Amino acid sequence: MAKSVKKFIEGNDAVVDGAIAAGARFYAGYPISPSSEIAEGAAKELPRHGGLYIQMEDEISSMAALLGASLAGKKSFTATSGPGFSLMQENLGLGIMSEIPCVIFDVQRSGPSTGAATKPAQADIMQARYGVHGDHSIIAISPSSVQDCYDLTITAFNLAEKYRTPVLFMADEVIGHLRETVTEVEPTPDQIFNRVQPAPGTTQAEFRPYNYSTNMPAPMPPVGNPTLLMRTTGSTHDEKGEFGPGPDNINRVTHYLTDKIEKNVDDITITRRYQLEDAEVAFITFGCSVRSTITAVDMLRAKGVKAGMLQVVTVWPLPEKEIREVLRQVKTVVVPEMNLGQLAGEVRKFNDYGCKVLQANRTDGVLITPQQIISALEEE
Amino acid sequence: MKTQIVLSGVGGQGLISTGEILGLAASLFEEDMYATLTASYGSETRGTFTKTDVIISDQPIGYPNIDTPDVILCLAQVAYDRYVDKFHDDTEVYYDTDMVTPKEGAKGDHIGFPFRTMSIEKVGNIQTANTIALGLIMKRQGLLHKESVMKAFAHRFAGKDKVIAVNEKALDLGLSL
Amino acid sequence: MASYKDYMLFDKLPHTWCAGCGDGIVLQSIAAVFAEMGLDKHDIALVSGIGCFGRVDDYLDINCMHVTHGRALPAATGIALANPNLNVIVTMGDGDSVTIGGNHLIHCARRNINLTAIVANNYNYGQTGGQYSGTTPTGSITTTSPYGHIEKNFDICKLVEAAGATYVARATVYNPVQMRKLIRGGIEHKGFAIIECMVPCPTHYGRYNKQGEAANMMKLMNEQSVPAEKAKNMSPEELEGKIITGLIVKKERDDYYTEYKRIIDAQNIDK
Repeated sequence: MAKSVKKFIEGNDAVVDGAIAAGARFYAGYPISPSSEIAEGAAKELPRHGGLYIQMEDEISSMAALLGASLAGKKSFTATSGPGFSLMQENLGLGIMSEIPCVIFDVQRSGPSTGAATKPAQADIMQARYGVHGDHSIIAISPSSVQDCYDLTITAFNLAEKYRTPVLFMADEVIGHLRETVTEVEPTPDQIFNRVQPAPGTTQAEFRPYNYSTNMPAPMPPVGNPTLLMRTTGSTHDEKGEFGPGPDNINRVTHYLTDKIEKNVDDITITRRYQLEDAEVAFITFGCSVRSTITAVDMLRAKGVKAGMLQVVTVWPLPEKEIREVLRQVKTVVVPEMNLGQLAGEVRKFNDYGCKVLQANRTDGVLITPQQIISALEEE
Repeated sequence: MKTQIVLSGVGGQGLISTGEILGLAASLFEEDMYATLTASYGSETRGTFTKTDVIISDQPIGYPNIDTPDVILCLAQVAYDRYVDKFHDDTEVYYDTDMVTPKEGAKGDHIGFPFRTMSIEKVGNIQTANTIALGLIMKRQGLLHKESVMKAFAHRFAGKDKVIAVNEKALDLGLSL
Repeated sequence: MASYKDYMLFDKLPHTWCAGCGDGIVLQSIAAVFAEMGLDKHDIALVSGIGCFGRVDDYLDINCMHVTHGRALPAATGIALANPNLNVIVTMGDGDSVTIGGNHLIHCARRNINLTAIVANNYNYGQTGGQYSGTTPTGSITTTSPYGHIEKNFDICKLVEAAGATYVARATVYNPVQMRKLIRGGIEHKGFAIIECMVPCPTHYGRYNKQGEAANMMKLMNEQSVPAEKAKNMSPEELEGKIITGLIVKKERDDYYTEYKRIIDAQNIDK
């Protein structure tokens, strides 16, 4: 029987518990509202589990330190918000190119720049996808409850390890600071994915730190292991990790970095359906807006309106198949989100079915209300 | 069954702590209950308006903010004034009679006690107005068992026996009103 | 006895550096020190940044992490803390170390992270065509200071000493024997060690500033060199335009990881 603890805590605290349960043992970061509780929790809890916390001079160095620690074999994480997330983009790119797993928690706040530092927003979704220069793909998960903050943190580390890539955890101020009931079940060893190691007996001559022949990454031994030397670089490299700026190689690497995520979309993406079976109108949403949307669906159902919701837990890569299914099924889709339509634009890209796609946006730093979501539908 | 409780006042009155006790008692120490808590966050902590929204329900909770409270505790005039226009006819408005002057013609069922003065005079501790009010709310609402609330205090203030004892005294006072 | 060749990738030669560049001498010195110390390759992790000297990892047959411009020290901080048994070496130019990465340098020195930073200072950005950096001497001509450089340059060793570095040394490529000795001392030192290596850039800096061929530049470096011991008795005026060489700082102070472990262990926290 797996160990299980029931708690009443905020999302940011559940993230720390989830990270430790996932096996994370290194944190480097720079405090920023509304994510600082994650740093504080990591500073307190990591030493209890043989881990290490370091507060770096900025978010640039925090990301770099994460990658170094991960390369040396420690599962690593950091937490930030908008301004810090902007600074992290540089070495997030390094992590993607070098294929070094780690998890970055962005507890989103209102922006741009300092914005309204303590107020929620969900407006970093496009930055998550395209903030790093150059073609690439990314995995981003968005929680809608404190339970998610625990469970999906473990999922995030598992995906990072499996696909040898940084994974983004796109929380928001609402969920980060929301306190609610959470049941923390300690994962069993088979529920934890650790990066693949080279087959025993692999020689240095045979070993390749990179593999571009399939859509899955090469094994990743830690730097400091006694038999194999590891070589990683942010420069375009060949399978030995050596500088490889030839046109064929550049092209191969670009496609690989995208394909290893996009071609595994069914394995990566998570969606949740709420009252969708007989729905005639549907909401497609994520993160904190899910909370308001569930209440809106309940209110509409009480009025006899057949409403339902698709929650995209995985924001990137988008669960295209599931979104298309909804667009095909209903006549009207509303996309509630705390930005000016970042997810709505993506939903429209898939709308080959003549479905009416409406937006319910809120950008004043106050959680979108169920009434506002219902109004968006009624006002059409 | 869903109860939406707003705890409002100014920083330093222990309202987030009271919200935590409610949430802990409901979600950890009662059977099949869910709870959410959202607090207003500012960069200041003491002396300015603060509110904590607590929802206790036998069903999972969606939208966690409270627009129309079923129950509201106002320990400061500034808090009362912010909410008074949101009361509906059935809202139970608990307020400190020394700190709050109710608005004439305001909706809701107003229940006033000098919680702060009672805290000083009857509990012998200035900081338990929140807990006296909590006891009263529990009694009138038929919400939560005293046992689970005391377990919540024991959990929240583990190792601080004096704090637990003084809060039990305050809670009992509230439950007896 | 191991040879420097055991630590190098000869199939990657010829290297990318210009004829007369000093970076190759520093590369050979690093590999020679590994050999001298008989280090197991698997116990060495080298982190390099961007720039001419950032390419040094291309030629070394050890664990290598090639990162972004200026971020080699924080990446190395992660490695050093995640595996305190490694010999962590960080190779940077003057751009990486004191210009784009200057903030990381002072904080890494302050924290006393157990690693060895080897900085090749050639007074300019060679790889991008000879623009000025944080160490370009005032008045120098570079491609972005065509009328003479306005800013005051950093003295790397003074900067890190002030930031709390526990091992600070400088050598010129004119004297590779001393350079090797100082690099070895840095690797053997527990804590943050930095060795500033003065290297000529005849292609850009030397040409624009009429310092002649590489050999001339090296001779000039040697003429400017003043041993650290001797420099102690010289006035700031006498030291103007000089390069202080040798071991400048050597202090004992527990490195970050040792200190962290001590504090945590002393707390006796329940695990």
